[in-house]
Amino acid sequence: MASLDSIEQDLPRLVHEAQQLDKMAVSRLISLFEDDRLGTAELRSQALGLLDSRPEPTSGTILGLTGTPGSGKSSLLSRITVDLLAAHSSLSIAVLAVDPSSQVSGGALLGDRTRMRYLPSENRLFFRSQASQTDLGGLGPSSFQVCRLLTRLFDCVMIETVGIGQSEADIRHLADRVYLVLQPLGGDEVQFLKAGIIEIPHAFILNKSDEPTALTSYHHLRSSLWLARPFESEDLPIFQTSALTGVGLSELEAEMLGQIQQPGGSGLTTREAYFFDRWVHQEWGRAGGRYLASQLGGSAAFVQQSGGYEAAQAGFSSIFG
Amino acid sequence: MTQAEPHRNTDAHLISDDQGNAVRDRPWIIRTYSGHSSPKASNELYRSNLAKGQTGLSIAFDLPTQCGYDSDDPIARPEIGKVGVPINSLDDMHILFDEIPIEQMNTSMTINGTAMWLLALYVGLARERGVDIADLNGTTQNDLIKEYLARGTYIFPPEQSQRIIAEMYEFCLEEIPSWNASNICSYHLQEAAATPAQELAFALANAISLLDLLKERGQFDDEQFERSVGRISFFVNAGIRFVEEMCKMRAFGELWDEYTKDRFGVKNEKYRRFRYGVQVNSLGLTESQPENNAWRILIETLGVTLSRDARARAVQLPAWNEALSLPRPWDQQWSLRLQQILAYETDLLEYPDIFEGSVVVRSKVDDLKAQAREEIDRILGMGGVIAAIDSGYMKSALVRSMSERMSAINTGEQIVVGLNRWTEGIPSPLVGGEDGGIFKVDESSARDTIASLNATRAARDPERAAAAIAVLQEAARSGASMMEPSIECALARVTTGEWAGALREVFGEYRPATGVDGQKLSLDGERVDALRSRIDLLAQKLGHRPRIVVGKPGLDGHSNGAEVIAVSARHVGFDVIYSGIRLSPDEIVQSAVEEDADVIGASVLSGSHVELTQQMMDKLGEYGAGSRIAVVVGGIIPPDDFDVLFGLGVKRVFTPSDYELIDIMESITEVIEANQDTE
Repeated sequence: MASLDSIEQDLPRLVHEAQQLDKMAVSRLISLFEDDRLGTAELRSQALGLLDSRPEPTSGTILGLTGTPGSGKSSLLSRITVDLLAAHSSLSIAVLAVDPSSQVSGGALLGDRTRMRYLPSENRLFFRSQASQTDLGGLGPSSFQVCRLLTRLFDCVMIETVGIGQSEADIRHLADRVYLVLQPLGGDEVQFLKAGIIEIPHAFILNKSDEPTALTSYHHLRSSLWLARPFESEDLPIFQTSALTGVGLSELEAEMLGQIQQPGGSGLTTREAYFFDRWVHQEWGRAGGRYLASQLGGSAAFVQQSGGYEAAQAGFSSIFG
Repeated sequence: MTQAEPHRNTDAHLISDDQGNAVRDRPWIIRTYSGHSSPKASNELYRSNLAKGQTGLSIAFDLPTQCGYDSDDPIARPEIGKVGVPINSLDDMHILFDEIPIEQMNTSMTINGTAMWLLALYVGLARERGVDIADLNGTTQNDLIKEYLARGTYIFPPEQSQRIIAEMYEFCLEEIPSWNASNICSYHLQEAAATPAQELAFALANAISLLDLLKERGQFDDEQFERSVGRISFFVNAGIRFVEEMCKMRAFGELWDEYTKDRFGVKNEKYRRFRYGVQVNSLGLTESQPENNAWRILIETLGVTLSRDARARAVQLPAWNEALSLPRPWDQQWSLRLQQILAYETDLLEYPDIFEGSVVVRSKVDDLKAQAREEIDRILGMGGVIAAIDSGYMKSALVRSMSERMSAINTGEQIVVGLNRWTEGIPSPLVGGEDGGIFKVDESSARDTIASLNATRAARDPERAAAAIAVLQEAARSGASMMEPSIECALARVTTGEWAGALREVFGEYRPATGVDGQKLSLDGERVDALRSRIDLLAQKLGHRPRIVVGKPGLDGHSNGAEVIAVSARHVGFDVIYSGIRLSPDEIVQSAVEEDADVIGASVLSGSHVELTQQMMDKLGEYGAGSRIAVVVGGIIPPDDFDVLFGLGVKRVFTPSDYELIDIMESITEVIEANQDTE
């Protein structure tokens, strides 16, 4: 892991084993996609090249689950993944759970695994935690990178984030579909919804619906939605679930399965364009962003011209740096 | 005054009976918490303890029995007979109580998640022996709140667990009137470093919530409800600050009297009496200079016996070497003798309450009561103990107390003799001898246990067993009482794992809040700053922040140590994956592999560290991760086992004498640095 040479030699074998969903191989490749040391971009590009040259490359769907701490995202995910895998013997799912890092020490406590009940030695399910590092909650800086890998290995990637604030826009760009998980609450909930987050999700999950206030919360949410998103052609779906008793899970699972089985893959190029633009802003600031837009024809065009994300990064660095 | 005849039997310093004769109090019930290896070995131990003058039984069950697994379940195997006796079926109960007249015994069972099952087995035993169950006497511990908070042998979610407890009260009140269906425990809260006020408040809030539930269920009329209040008993802890502990016990008694009168309208004073048993504190026992623990145990015993008005009904003492390993029979005998000397040699039991009228004691008791009432109001305001568990409030409060205690010891503010003061000493001759002063379970006993389990399964009527399980599940679903169906399961030779498994199917299994958030550690200063820089540097070399998986393999649920390590590691800059409790070694290794961790930190307090470590190492080998992922182990580990663990490939072993968190963090960092260099 430490030396890049060793991983370079291992790469073809790792990629091969990762395609069989071997856990150690998948895990080491994820680490490569999280690694921002010099020289790793080239290796990532090689790995993706190997994966894309397969006759029938996998192109997994990304589902985002976001919501306040304590809304029960992890418990829900735990049940949904186990149910889906039990019902569909060829399906594979990777879970990427993002937790905030300490601003003081840089360390993070990644606790979501405590809520997950695993199928021992089941390669079709893979769980990885990620620290958000210095980003403002939501996604980590390498979440996008890791998703590029995981969508090429698994049929579905579920991303769980502590979602409050501006990073919500990121999850909307990363995931094919975003679910906001809520728990029955009082009036604060409505205030929270007015704050803008309500505009992001494609669907809502009202979890802990076995609690007495659940029905009231449902009606609050429904009416808030009419106010906040009046231009939707159809009512946005609200799933009422309980991860504890299993109520409402089959409807939610059916809808998720529908998303996974939809012929997709189109998301990948737009995603790369968005995150390339974000990368430029992070590395080169607004000046870089303006240059990309005005001189290079914008993010999407430049990534395409350059022949891929890593090439675009290298190209931009040499032009602008 | 000089001429006056002494006032016989009316003097304030004498205890009088109804006729005015001076009498001596009856001693409390003298017990030793024990059980190990197998039903047969434990039976021999109990009979020998009773012959030595012990007056009650206190049964320790092994972790598989406590967590509802049969001995042959893969997760159970490393733990069979380790911390107590394994009980798989009614056949085991016949062996455990062989030649012990249960109708004359006061039997206390430390059993919680499977309490209803063990009571059903005890009732089944009585029925098959032809004993009237109304003559049974004893206690099933059965307090799940403290299991969620500190001890970890819960199975079902809170609501279902509370239902089981309530059904046991409803069954026992008329059928086994002298049985304590549950024991509200503050013992384990103190072990988790609760302050006296927290101990008072959490335990009383727990009891109040239970009575609220009994009332709400409406199975009792007013007269029965009043009697059921009288059945609530407590199990408390006594720590080294023995004056405060004595005051705490007086505060307990007064508060309970007030709450039962004011909140529940109990008229009969007898039913408002605070009845409690005690096990004195193990948390403060040290591994270094372990002989000092004998004095600590003596002093702590005084805290719960000196004051007559607040004296324990039953006392069990730990052994001096508990911080090293499970006690040997001789160690237990030594503790038993302490109780006998106090009860029979001294004049303690000849006096009324010797603190009556003390201004200092009165003031301290009032102070504790006020603090406790404030906290009780807070918890009841949240909606009771279940709500305070669900929100993580109680857990976080305890974890914070534990961190504060650790910091106080680290800084030397709290003196622990032989640990952070006066640490130089002559080596103890007590830990010499060929067994090294510690107890080891005979490995062959586990095989015998599994063989007898298989024999039970082979000999039973399979249709009767299956039907009994079906009736149990039906009751669980419909809301009918599960007590009689459980007794039928016992008689039908259903096994412990089958009983719990049947209910797991209906109720699900609970995963509680971990309480790792919101801890405060006094980990700061130059060494922490230096370590953070060192970890930042390491992160650059590795290409990621060093990652540690912290987890507890096996069934032992004492999670506080692991949680302190998890939080400390984040505090110095690790990415920490906290995997929680009750995981198989396979699950922990799988976490570490999926997370591409640099190190696994495993905490084991059950004595199964060798078996569990072996399993983890084997699994790491299967993944081909043996050289990538280092393993460090912490827990109650006898020095003799260090080399065994190092031989298995463990890089570091931490024991309770490694209380300096910064030392542990530096040591783990070294392990990763070394591993990185060799790769």
